[in-house]
Amino acid sequence: MSLNELAFKLNAHQTDEGTCFDAVLSDEGVLEVICSNNEEFPINIVKTETQLLAITPLFSVAEVQVNKLSELNEELLLISPAIPLSSIGRQGETYILFGSMAINTTLDNIIHELEVQAENTLDVLQVIEPLLV
Amino acid sequence: MSILKNILTAIRGGASEVGEAVIDANALRILGQEIRDAEDAIGKAKQSLTNLKASEIKLKRELNTIHKDISDYESKAMQALEANNDTLAGEVADRIAVLEADAAEKNAEHQNLSVQVNKINSMIRQREKTIQKNKRELEKIKTVEQLQKATSTMSTNFAATNASEHRVSKALERVKNKQTHWEDRMEAGEWMESTEQNDELDTKLKAAGIGGATTSGGSSVLERLKQKKAG
Repeated sequence: MSLNELAFKLNAHQTDEGTCFDAVLSDEGVLEVICSNNEEFPINIVKTETQLLAITPLFSVAEVQVNKLSELNEELLLISPAIPLSSIGRQGETYILFGSMAINTTLDNIIHELEVQAENTLDVLQVIEPLLV
Repeated sequence: MSILKNILTAIRGGASEVGEAVIDANALRILGQEIRDAEDAIGKAKQSLTNLKASEIKLKRELNTIHKDISDYESKAMQALEANNDTLAGEVADRIAVLEADAAEKNAEHQNLSVQVNKINSMIRQREKTIQKNKRELEKIKTVEQLQKATSTMSTNFAATNASEHRVSKALERVKNKQTHWEDRMEAGEWMESTEQNDELDTKLKAAGIGGATTSGGSSVLERLKQKKAG
């Protein structure tokens, strides 16, 4: 399924929990998805030959309180295994929450992943918020 | 060595912008081309292997036929000997000798071919493993490239909003407010539904003459007044 096709299907879908999606494919080939259960932190979807990657940029290093970076990194490492379907990482200066799926995964799985990732984002940020400026 | 180490080195070196190569772009193209070339070569090798295997099967079949002929002629030679026809038995024995020589030659050829088939087959499998490994390595690089692409949009937004402090806190607050608002609306919806259900029940009860309404119309008031006057 192409990202364009995925955007079309996501925009027409509503989950059992009432979550709906606003998906737009950018010129750079990044599918930006806003989930109604977390409109503040969009999820960016990209694809490789074997994977679909769902990425939520969380915050930049500059947003971490001075001298709190190590503590923040440790907290993120500690909570990461407890987060369902998502992992935490850093891309350049940006901390990200991401999940990866096989390229041939079903639409239902993608939707579930997105819904969970949107919730995970809030959970993670609530935990580490005291360490941010 | 795993390419992951190269990726880490490149990232540490600051290769974090989109378009900036995680590893040398030429090396990436070469790796991709090598994988494609190797796949083509394997395709051709498999075709050759199929032909070799077909020759091997054909030789085996010919060998079986010769052995069957030898066995047949041996039986006939025995019959000639039993009939005391040594001359004919001798001729049959000569034919058997020719067939045995042919069988020995074909057998050697068949064994050589079998060894060759197994060797090529094993080489193809080994090569396929290497290709799969290279593909996974390439996938790692492409994953990092896609991650960079997906993160760059938002990083630009961060840069624009970094001027305002508590960006995350404010965003969380907005989400919380929206969720509270949504929950309020859900509660209101449930209340409305419940009220409508109660109204419906009251209507049904009234229709059934149960728990009648206490409201009195003008006629009932006049009736009450008449009774009062009479009393």
